[in-house]
Amino acid sequence: MISSKFEYRKPTNVDEAVELYGEFEGSAVYLSGGTDLVPRMKLGLEKPRAVIDLKAIDSLSVLEDQGQWIKIGSEVRIFDLKQNELIQDLFPALASSLEATSCETLQMRGTIGGNLLQNCRCLFYNQSEFWRRSKGFCLKMGGEKCNAVPGAKTCFANYCSDNAPSLCTLSAEVELSGPKGQRRISLEELYTNKADKPFDIQPGEILTAIFVPKKKTIGDYEKLRVRCAIDYPLLGVAFSLAEGTGKLAVGAIGPKPIVVELGESPKQSVKEAVKGVLDQVRPVNNTVLDREYRKRMISIMAERLVNKVMEGAK
Amino acid sequence: MEQLKVKFQINGEAAELEVKASETLLETLRERLELTGAKEGCGLGACGSCTVLVDGVPTRSCLVLTAEVNGADITTIEGLAEETKLDPLQESFMEKGAVQCGFCTSGMILTAKGLLNRNPQPTRDDVIRSISSNVCRCTGYKKIVEAVEAAAALD
Repeated sequence: MISSKFEYRKPTNVDEAVELYGEFEGSAVYLSGGTDLVPRMKLGLEKPRAVIDLKAIDSLSVLEDQGQWIKIGSEVRIFDLKQNELIQDLFPALASSLEATSCETLQMRGTIGGNLLQNCRCLFYNQSEFWRRSKGFCLKMGGEKCNAVPGAKTCFANYCSDNAPSLCTLSAEVELSGPKGQRRISLEELYTNKADKPFDIQPGEILTAIFVPKKKTIGDYEKLRVRCAIDYPLLGVAFSLAEGTGKLAVGAIGPKPIVVELGESPKQSVKEAVKGVLDQVRPVNNTVLDREYRKRMISIMAERLVNKVMEGAK
Repeated sequence: MEQLKVKFQINGEAAELEVKASETLLETLRERLELTGAKEGCGLGACGSCTVLVDGVPTRSCLVLTAEVNGADITTIEGLAEETKLDPLQESFMEKGAVQCGFCTSGMILTAKGLLNRNPQPTRDDVIRSISSNVCRCTGYKKIVEAVEAAAALD
């Protein structure tokens, strides 16, 4: 049951949606597939005054070949995207991470934009209000301290989009529209690196499209998970190689994907590149797997993935 | 609090309701329309026991606001049979013994229905991938996979 009381609106264009957001003075949320937002509202992690449903905005559901770029509307469903021939042919890392996302039924509901803008997750945060209240609210709930790491003043929640790492390896960009107009930034710039407020998005801004450079790539995605269906990644590693330059991205360990370049000889450089990742991650015990295990799996999965992709390319 | 007028087709009949914006489709089905075939398991989208068909697509009704399905065509397990003639999936679930406690069954059948609608001749891998959207804590899934395969073979 959702205990918060809100109004529901279903605008048919982006400007109308942004205007509605303004009417509710910033206490509205945008609804896409709802597979992240609705559970958050049920747990009381989100208490909006208005829910603005973006699904009637047709322009957001378009996938378009623009020559230099493939433009993916933010409302394109994950299930439809993974079956798109352009995506399968040009961006195998993305096709693989889309396939690894949750399960078929949720892929049919969830959208690529919603998947990218899902909030960070933590065993001590994604709980009922009763549970969280009894423990004392954590930093991400506006409290004084972290409940995963006693005494810590930093939030360690994990950003669990499967598709963000692969889109980072493909040098994707995102387009945002809001009260102050439209802007386009690289996907990596979307992240604040702060788990309590993970996205650099201004109030009222809507993620309208994702742009991926139209280049033939090879690549793949590996996901550490315990159920092999429905579950969020406990670690996700993506690798893509385009025109001789490889990129590796590691996700679900901290508030943003960590992206490193692998140069022209990925198999030789992956060990060194993984060191660069390990310097940046600070896994803690806030998932169902031990932090040391997740950390050690970074190099194992990265090397396995890069070797597999490069062997397949021969 | 604002009430919304919502119209949709439910198992072939028109429904017109006034709902709160925060009401989920599962709540509407179970508590207003007395269609209790869809079950509330986790309530957070992780188990699939509330699955219904929205415009033919298997959908977790606990994650959907009733306001979102205005104009949609919804099928629940109660609407799958044609009068006394059960759907081939329902027949094969009985035939193969793919039901134990029954809590997951309506969701399993509707997930499988969605699969067979878009792919009438699925491979075993297709069936497994599809029903892995749903959790069953009794059967061990083997009988369910066999039942879906048997129903596909009947078509």
